[in-house]
Amino acid sequence: MTAARTALLVVGMAVAGYGALLLWENPPVVILRIAVWALAGVVLHDLVFAPLCVALGLAGRRLMPRRWWVPVAMAGFGSVVLVLLAVPVYSRPGARPDNPTVLDRNYPLGLWISLAALWVCVLAYVALARWSPVRQDGVVQHQRTGDVDGQPPTG
Amino acid sequence: MTRTVLRGTAITARVGLALGIAVAVCFITGLISHFIQHPQPWFWWPTRPVWLYRLTQGLHVISGIAAIPLILVKLWSVWPKLFERPLIGGPVRQLERLSILVLVSSMLFQLSTGLLNIAQWYAFRFFFTTSHYAMAYVAAGAVVVHIGVKLPIIRRALGEPLDDIPSGELTGPTRRTVLFGTGLAVALATVVTAGQTVPWLRRVSVLAPRSGQGPQGVPVNRSAVAAGVVGAAHSPGYRLTVVNGDVTRRFTLAELIAMPQATHRLPIACVEGWSVQAEWTGVVLADLIATVGGAPDADMRMVSLEPPGPYSRTVLPARHARDSQTLIALRLNGEPLHIDHGYPCRLIAPTRPGVLQTKWLSRIEVLP
Repeated sequence: MTAARTALLVVGMAVAGYGALLLWENPPVVILRIAVWALAGVVLHDLVFAPLCVALGLAGRRLMPRRWWVPVAMAGFGSVVLVLLAVPVYSRPGARPDNPTVLDRNYPLGLWISLAALWVCVLAYVALARWSPVRQDGVVQHQRTGDVDGQPPTG
Repeated sequence: MTRTVLRGTAITARVGLALGIAVAVCFITGLISHFIQHPQPWFWWPTRPVWLYRLTQGLHVISGIAAIPLILVKLWSVWPKLFERPLIGGPVRQLERLSILVLVSSMLFQLSTGLLNIAQWYAFRFFFTTSHYAMAYVAAGAVVVHIGVKLPIIRRALGEPLDDIPSGELTGPTRRTVLFGTGLAVALATVVTAGQTVPWLRRVSVLAPRSGQGPQGVPVNRSAVAAGVVGAAHSPGYRLTVVNGDVTRRFTLAELIAMPQATHRLPIACVEGWSVQAEWTGVVLADLIATVGGAPDADMRMVSLEPPGPYSRTVLPARHARDSQTLIALRLNGEPLHIDHGYPCRLIAPTRPGVLQTKWLSRIEVLP
């Protein structure tokens, strides 16, 4: 394993070093712009997006019954992905008058429909989980003997 | 503390594995596209199956988009490590943190610039192709280093059962739920974008930069107006010049139409990940080259009416130039070529990126 790890480290550093060398061929001002763009992604994720998700998660736990947590978290994550993918197309910033074949959809409509479909699925899932006895059994079977929470409703 | 239980190497390693596969596919298909556009002596690219580039470049964009939810979950699973004590630590710890910074920033750079580029939104003030290409090596190298550093942890985590959570601590979603949710998000991201290259997903790909529509059923990347060729393309003096050393022949459009015509169904596949299948009719390039006595092992230079620019002239390798399906197309889906598709005539060859399928051809040179 040591040999494999050493090989991975050496190859990885060589490949990354080649990339750095290619980047280095740019004028200093361009290198700076590239570095700023790359670091902005990290800062935005680590210090804005991630704390926001933690805050939303904690708030959601206090505000929602337990059986909502999983489906809402899933739909929330799906919504984040949809919004991220919509960023470059939503207001069609790359559109050009001479070429109507680029960005040729109604993106606001598409985003809202896909978000709505996602959340309708969540509501349907929660409703099914509540009214289907099989689901409740499934939940019970998933729990351990020491787990005293999340008992199915009696009556 | 459900969160800390849920987060952990069991998820990090599994999502990391999926992300690693997506990154590997993205990197390799990206390199393929790069070396088709910047040929090297050692690089070999076949002409069959005709949809090969459509597949590789479609995969490039699909795997890149799939990596977005994967990297979000991966970062979620390790985010608390950012605040682990000591924050600074010794040189080894600083080195590790630096390598993670390089890894995450280069990955986010690649995914964000790629996503913007497929929507033709150049919000950044650096050249996309060269920086995306260079940073790909940084990201791929950083991934390999990361695997090397974490290999024992990865092996242990992948060997552990997924449900190994101390009893009584499970108060929310299970790890299986997290992986299932990640899979759903990847599927969602794929479905809403992949329709620009997967025809049966077109209607549901509501966030795809291309619907696949356009004049004569084919989208356009560079219009005739943007290329500044409208006047030259419609000029009565238009001739297609074919040159082989001292031998030069000039063809009017009528003369090209009078030559034996061939029809082939070939995809047009753009570097930006969209592609459509179309029916092209025109003169087989090899027939045209034969009129000036060009050798079958010669590369061809294709020159556009477009004023000199990065893609106004391209070199077609001999393997593609002599291929029986490589056409100088005059018609598209049964109609005379639309000006935005390259009227009076354009190159269409199998397994080539759209950007190299030179439009508004004015000159073909047999290279020595």
